[in-house]
Amino acid sequence: MDINSKMDLIGSTPPRPARIRQDKSEIIVRWAGYIFISLFAISCLLPFLLILGTSFTSESAVKQHGFNIWPHEFSTFAYQIVFENPKLIIGSYLVTMGITVVGTIVGLFIVAMTGYALQRPDFSYRNRISFFIYFTTLFSGGLVPFYLLITQYLELKDNYLAVLLPGLLTPFLIIMMKSFVRSIPHAITESAKIDGAGDFTIFLRLILPMSTPALATIGLFIALGYWNEWYHAMLFLSPDMDYRPLQLFLYNVVTSADFIRNSAASSNVAMSDVPLETMKMATAVVATGPVILFYPFVQRYFIKGITVGAVKG
Amino acid sequence: MWKFRKLISALMVAVIVLSLAACGGSKSGAGDDKSQFVTVTFVALGDKPKNGQFEKVMEKVNTIMKQKINAEVKWKWVEWADWQTKYNLLLASGEPVDLITIGTDWLDTWSNAQRGAFMPLDDLLPKYAPVTWKSIPAEDWNQSKYNGKIVLIPENDYTQWINHGFFYRGDWAKQAGITEPIKDWDTIGKYLQWIKDNKPGVIPWDAQSSTSTFGGWVQSHTPYLELPMSTGYLPVFNTKSYDDRYTVVSPIFEDTFLNFATTMKEWADKGYWREDVLNNKNDTRVALQAGQTGMDQHHTQTFSGLRVQMDKKQPGSELQMFPFSRQSGNLLEMPITHGGVSIGAHSKNPERALMAYDLIRNDKEIYQLINYGMEGVQYDIKDGKRVLPANYNETNDAFYSDFWAGRMDEHEIPSDTTWDKIDTLYSEYDKIKKPYPYGQFVFDKTAVESELTAISQVTAEMGPAITYGKAGDPAQAVQDFRDKLKVAGYDKVMAELQRQLDAYKAQQESAGTK
Repeated sequence: MDINSKMDLIGSTPPRPARIRQDKSEIIVRWAGYIFISLFAISCLLPFLLILGTSFTSESAVKQHGFNIWPHEFSTFAYQIVFENPKLIIGSYLVTMGITVVGTIVGLFIVAMTGYALQRPDFSYRNRISFFIYFTTLFSGGLVPFYLLITQYLELKDNYLAVLLPGLLTPFLIIMMKSFVRSIPHAITESAKIDGAGDFTIFLRLILPMSTPALATIGLFIALGYWNEWYHAMLFLSPDMDYRPLQLFLYNVVTSADFIRNSAASSNVAMSDVPLETMKMATAVVATGPVILFYPFVQRYFIKGITVGAVKG
Repeated sequence: MWKFRKLISALMVAVIVLSLAACGGSKSGAGDDKSQFVTVTFVALGDKPKNGQFEKVMEKVNTIMKQKINAEVKWKWVEWADWQTKYNLLLASGEPVDLITIGTDWLDTWSNAQRGAFMPLDDLLPKYAPVTWKSIPAEDWNQSKYNGKIVLIPENDYTQWINHGFFYRGDWAKQAGITEPIKDWDTIGKYLQWIKDNKPGVIPWDAQSSTSTFGGWVQSHTPYLELPMSTGYLPVFNTKSYDDRYTVVSPIFEDTFLNFATTMKEWADKGYWREDVLNNKNDTRVALQAGQTGMDQHHTQTFSGLRVQMDKKQPGSELQMFPFSRQSGNLLEMPITHGGVSIGAHSKNPERALMAYDLIRNDKEIYQLINYGMEGVQYDIKDGKRVLPANYNETNDAFYSDFWAGRMDEHEIPSDTTWDKIDTLYSEYDKIKKPYPYGQFVFDKTAVESELTAISQVTAEMGPAITYGKAGDPAQAVQDFRDKLKVAGYDKVMAELQRQLDAYKAQQESAGTK
């Protein structure tokens, strides 16, 4: 069978049927649905607009009138502080993007391989290994051993790998992949074997193309994980590095502003000069902006994989 | 099956062998042989400066260091983002740390000492940091011991007062007929009433409900002392007095709290602050500088800078401070171990680290470079004070090193951003201050963790309304508050606290007789 021609069919919509006259009740129900869904969508949008609006408001206006979608007093001061050092923020963006891209590609590949291997009925240790993986979700050594492992044994302090490696394999995602691949009949693997394909060929040419929805979902999880990753970066990447992941950079901008506000030592900075509330919003906008672009990009893969008809029953 | 077992045991063996090999790395320090050049690290808390000035200053410092002790010092920053986790991990990880900032009241110093994170210094100090060793009196060294061994060098010769009080405008107080410095809360009330009557558009005290003044009230009206433990929004437990400092009392269950609630209700009814004080987000300090309010509340260090700013923004305002200690003479010094330095247990060069510290602390030139930066760039000297140079630019020239580990009054150059008559307050404090008695007391919360959380919830929930007179009838509100504290487990925490203070008393008294 030729998978490529099958793949071409995906995404093309079936031809539209001729218009059928609808009666009134159907129209009412349909419009009620439209209105309800629109309202729901707007209510999801509101918090975003609130963040966006507040980030462009002057601090004093926020203090007086609270958060608003439409700025009371337009100001870009919060962004000026966040972008005070453009070189740094661009560098952080690049670091985060690099880690996200590399981590997602490598992580997705490893997770998919693990998930596939663990559900092969002819793999005898699959249950034991699954248990090992599952076990780590319940018990962990705790923070200090983990810290020692990364810094003392792997010597990855101030190395981007310290952020990349821990995120590559997530037990939850492996289990997810495993249960998805299970829905692909084992007969496909067997028939390919008869045709002389090796395990890796089967995985690459048959299993992966049939798992696009799972890959898209899991890939999105991994990518978001790396994009929002700041904890490992905070632990293992010291200020001696020139560029550190974006979330950590932004977090530092906010905490140091917080600290300046609260410290009596900063006698040469007036308290009111630090736009703390609006700055939090501005950093949120800077951090989430690109993520919103992830979604349309992967959405087209959220379609049921074609397993139906691949095996003659 | 057996194959699998074999594999696992082989793996286990491999892991053990590897970890043993990793532990076996021998440590070789330079000892006190000065012929070998070494780098001494100093762990500071704060964000790494980014404008390049810090590096320039350190270059100058290290030129002198190399000459004198053939070493250089390098700062290692622990950033404010989740600093507590990172600071404690750094000590727990066994990474070699030379000098590290400590603080018994905010950096878990005693718990870290308990885990063996610091090197005992008794034998090293006289030899490698002789100036420091001689300048610190025996009773201060006693405050720096854990299990009888010196584990830290205290910041004991640096004056900083963080005792709270009210800031009020001297010009308005004069017009209100208050000619003497304010000494009690009644006079503060009189002052606020005058503003209410004579300054339309000004909120007498534009307070924010996020801070409670009950601690200040207790300090002003009783000899009670505050303990180094938190019950959230307002202090529930105190000790009886300096002479009876190991006996727990609670002003909440005495008339002190009722009087406070009654007075605050009066103040609220008279309109000394906003009707919606509980939701007020207005910055009191900004309002004070804009002339929109007549009072603010914070500590002495804040006051010393605020006075100078007020002289610029509200000329003639003559901002004054009424420290809560003035009414009762009840004042404790800062713990001398609020700042200080320790040497990490795994330091490779403790000897050279101490030599470097001895220089930073006692060599005037190095001290001033590290604390203020370079003369002519970060500051000029004018009439004996530090002023900003004419071409100073905050972004490009700002400098800080966050060296809170052994500042000395004798090397300090006063800044023109600090009120030059702050000494008048200091000398007032010097007359009444008592040494801080709880420097080595650490309240172990494990037995009463949940009760303490519940108590903190009660204080957070009802405290603000009582503090700002918005809880209806004060007697009733106070009664409700006490009932809720009882339900939350007040008695249990009280008993546990008393038990631990008794143990602390025994420990302190035996140390005193040694």
